Amino acid sequence: MAVDLSMPVLVVDDYQTMIRIIRNLLNQLGFKNIEEAKDGKQALEKLNGGKFGLVISDWNMEPMTGYELLQQVRASDKLKATPFIMVTAESKTENVIAAKKAGVNNYIVKPFNAETLKGKLKAVLGEF
Amino acid sequence: MAAAEAAIKIRSAMEQLKATGVRERPLVEVLSLSHQMADAMTAFFGSLDKSIIGEFKYLADFIQKARDEISGLQANDIKDTRLPGASVELDAVVRDTEKATESIMAEAEGLMAKEPTDLAAYKAEVDAAMMRIFEACSFQDLTGQRVTKVISTLRHIEERVTKFASALGVTDAASQESAEDARKRELLLNGPAQNGPATSQDDIDALFA
Repeated sequence: MAVDLSMPVLVVDDYQTMIRIIRNLLNQLGFKNIEEAKDGKQALEKLNGGKFGLVISDWNMEPMTGYELLQQVRASDKLKATPFIMVTAESKTENVIAAKKAGVNNYIVKPFNAETLKGKLKAVLGEF
Repeated sequence: MAAAEAAIKIRSAMEQLKATGVRERPLVEVLSLSHQMADAMTAFFGSLDKSIIGEFKYLADFIQKARDEISGLQANDIKDTRLPGASVELDAVVRDTEKATESIMAEAEGLMAKEPTDLAAYKAEVDAAMMRIFEACSFQDLTGQRVTKVISTLRHIEERVTKFASALGVTDAASQESAEDARKRELLLNGPAQNGPATSQDDIDALFA
């Protein structure tokens, strides 16, 4: 099944510049419906208030981290099926394994390039 | 005369007097024994005073050394000038970096949004945008100088603290983990690794294969 490029994508990062970079890359790849949140808490509120086809989240944010957001999403009956990609500078193996155990669909370590993001989107969502 | 030797002499003199009875001894002998006791006690208290004086001198020297080291630490200079100065420099680095990033991204987004019909005009716009991007990149020179100043401050503090700790033989006491540190540990908030990612993207991909 083809990926619905009009589906809402939630980008979560406490650095506006990083949100802007991911937004531009997603736009280039054809995704047009992109929303943003500055931390896990705000992201959870948005997720509970709407229907999103994908979450792309940073890890290190306050007051709620991306890891905590992932755990909350996977614990929610409404949200648990939402694809979740972590994009973070947290590159220790313990972080990757913890995120995988918590149910992350893929993991991108910063700094990353457009090809890496595209590859992970295809791995999680399918060809587009 | 050592304290133990003086004590033995005094005890011996006292025992002699007790054993024979002071009234039955000739006055000269009693005086001689008293003189012997007085000599022994003088020697004893003399040695006692010297050892106490020695201890006090050691303590005074240590306190003076500590004062010199604390003075050399230049804590007020670090607190009032160097650390606030470093903080100002780092704030400026963040501000300059954000400003440059904003300029570069705005130029890039502007070019991406264009739908060129006139290629010559489009090339001129691209060239102008590239020049503005080059200009924005000049922030790196300033931030580099600012970061160098901050590094210099940190090295200054490191040298002073190391010298202070070494001179006074300071060792670290066991510290209790703060709530912030506990949260960082529990949520695996390690921050960016030095010299590139701790785990490469290829290794991460292998875990998800």
